[in-house]
Amino acid sequence: MNARRLRAIFRRVVSEFRRDHRSIALLFAAPILMTGLITFIVREGQAPSVTVALVHGGSPIGQVVSDRLRSALEAEDITVIAAVDESAARAAITNGQADVGVVLPVDLGRPGATITAITNGMDPIGEGTQLGIVRGILVATATAALDAPLPTVEHATAYGVPTDDPIAPYAPAIVGFLAYFFVYILTGISFLRERTGGTLERLMATPVTRGEIVTGYTLGFTLFAGLQVALLMIWSLGTIRVPAIGPLPEFAIGLGVATAGNPAVAFLVVLLLAVGAVSLGIFLSTFARTELQIVQFIPLVIVPQFLLSGILFPISGLPEILQPLVGLMPVSYAVDGLRQVFIAGADLSSGSLQLDLLVLAVIAAFFGLIASLTIRREVA
Amino acid sequence: MNYGHSRKEPPVVSEVLPDIERDPGARPAIRAAGLVKTFGTIRAVDDVSFDLAPGRIYGLLGPNGSGKTTLIRLLTGMARPAAGTVEVLGVAMPSRPNLSRIGYMTQSDGVYPALTVGENARFFAAAYGVTGDAAVLDALTLVDLADRQGDVTSTLSGGQRRRLSLACALTHRPPVLFLDEPTVGIDPLLRVQFWGHFRTLAEAGTTIVVSSHVMDEADRCDELLFMRSGRVIARGTGRQIRDRAGTDDLEQAFLAFASENGVGR
Repeated sequence: MNARRLRAIFRRVVSEFRRDHRSIALLFAAPILMTGLITFIVREGQAPSVTVALVHGGSPIGQVVSDRLRSALEAEDITVIAAVDESAARAAITNGQADVGVVLPVDLGRPGATITAITNGMDPIGEGTQLGIVRGILVATATAALDAPLPTVEHATAYGVPTDDPIAPYAPAIVGFLAYFFVYILTGISFLRERTGGTLERLMATPVTRGEIVTGYTLGFTLFAGLQVALLMIWSLGTIRVPAIGPLPEFAIGLGVATAGNPAVAFLVVLLLAVGAVSLGIFLSTFARTELQIVQFIPLVIVPQFLLSGILFPISGLPEILQPLVGLMPVSYAVDGLRQVFIAGADLSSGSLQLDLLVLAVIAAFFGLIASLTIRREVA
Repeated sequence: MNYGHSRKEPPVVSEVLPDIERDPGARPAIRAAGLVKTFGTIRAVDDVSFDLAPGRIYGLLGPNGSGKTTLIRLLTGMARPAAGTVEVLGVAMPSRPNLSRIGYMTQSDGVYPALTVGENARFFAAAYGVTGDAAVLDALTLVDLADRQGDVTSTLSGGQRRRLSLACALTHRPPVLFLDEPTVGIDPLLRVQFWGHFRTLAEAGTTIVVSSHVMDEADRCDELLFMRSGRVIARGTGRQIRDRAGTDDLEQAFLAFASENGVGR
């Protein structure tokens, strides 16, 4: 180690970095922004507003418990609506009028009686919080009113079946998010090379149009996104048993996550999301001069989508002022669409899935348009 | 090279520089009229007008920053002038369809390193709307890369990449060719070969505009345009320019014209 040479290298690193103002800004601002946002979400995340559809079940004791439960729930700012039977409660949940259904059985108070708590099933994490609040009050009220052993509370869902698999709520969202992330990075860097390597200038000296460039890029990268997602889906949904060979025991490959719907429909959702990511990559490459700067956009465009699209933090639990931002996140529509397919088993006839697909298509078209506007004949 | 600092004796040049004699009936391949391009307060191209005849090699000479590349970008329609007009083969630029009749070799190689030689040439041919492989093979043969088609471009030497870059500008057999410093960074042998290619193309009727800051390439051109601070300060054959400047040294002639135009220093 020679001190002079060491000092020269140290100084070079510092002076080079010092002139890259954007890197410096991001080095200090990005972690503050990100930790701030995460803390805000976790700390200020609202206790979700809950509406309960209550079925008293028809027995006299059921009427009593139902009345007491209503006032106990309302004391906690929980809205209660009455439902005549379990199917009415399920309908209230599926059409969005209620979050949790509580169905008291006819034989309430007798041994073996089971109270059914119903949730939608589409947002297992968010619903878990809502269910937890209701269940606590329910158990306390029922115990006091019945003066008998605690009735069993059974969880049912309007869509799918409640699962114990802890990855089930995350898997669809993560498949979509990863595709978005990788396609953005690949396209961004690839198009940046096109801009800095002189090939874009050269391409613009040919009769090729901007629309042809963006569409061609979209087709090319969507092919790879498609292959990636197909592989990722086979890996997540599949369970391939490998038989015992010699001393090796039998084992399974694949995560074996359950899906209620058709994987091909889920594939379509992710593919539309990926098309939007291609355009986003082309668009943002305008504002980058180096590959490092493409990576630097991640805290600004990718991380907020990760936090605000219901992947880890349920949308229902986000602080109120962040709620309007959710609708601006392309990934949030894909996450919703994928959960519709994976959990609710939605197919292309489902209205809410159609809406998700429509919004994703509009986002892709919009970014495609502004991406092509960033490609000018005058590139220098 | 040193422009503007080593002047010896100022030659006497006072007459307005005339255009070269040429067939007055021939339509110019390239016509520039009152071209101006500004970047902020800098006039990168400052009121440039000329007609260039078909089938000749024009040398655009001048130091770095004199506006050669900007002028070429205006002529190819890659940049919009603040004032003035450009016509290439009778069509006003910028014109996207007209680009299929123009070849443009950029200063940087502008080829895809991960593609093979053949893939690069065929890609640009397709972008120009060329069908069939004959023109691509001709272009690669001209630059002596026909037998390297399967090689990945990143494995080529700098000179080979430059040759490929030239071939990519020729895949559509353009009647007008702009070459922005095509011989920068290549060895003398390859430079001689390049000028051989240019002459072959010009004899076949191609109009070629070559920019360079190397004065010893000037005599290979049919006609020279000296650029300085965004202006064409002199135009003529190498002989005419020498005669007018009263010196046999083109560098001296350049300096003489530069000072004559008040932009020498």
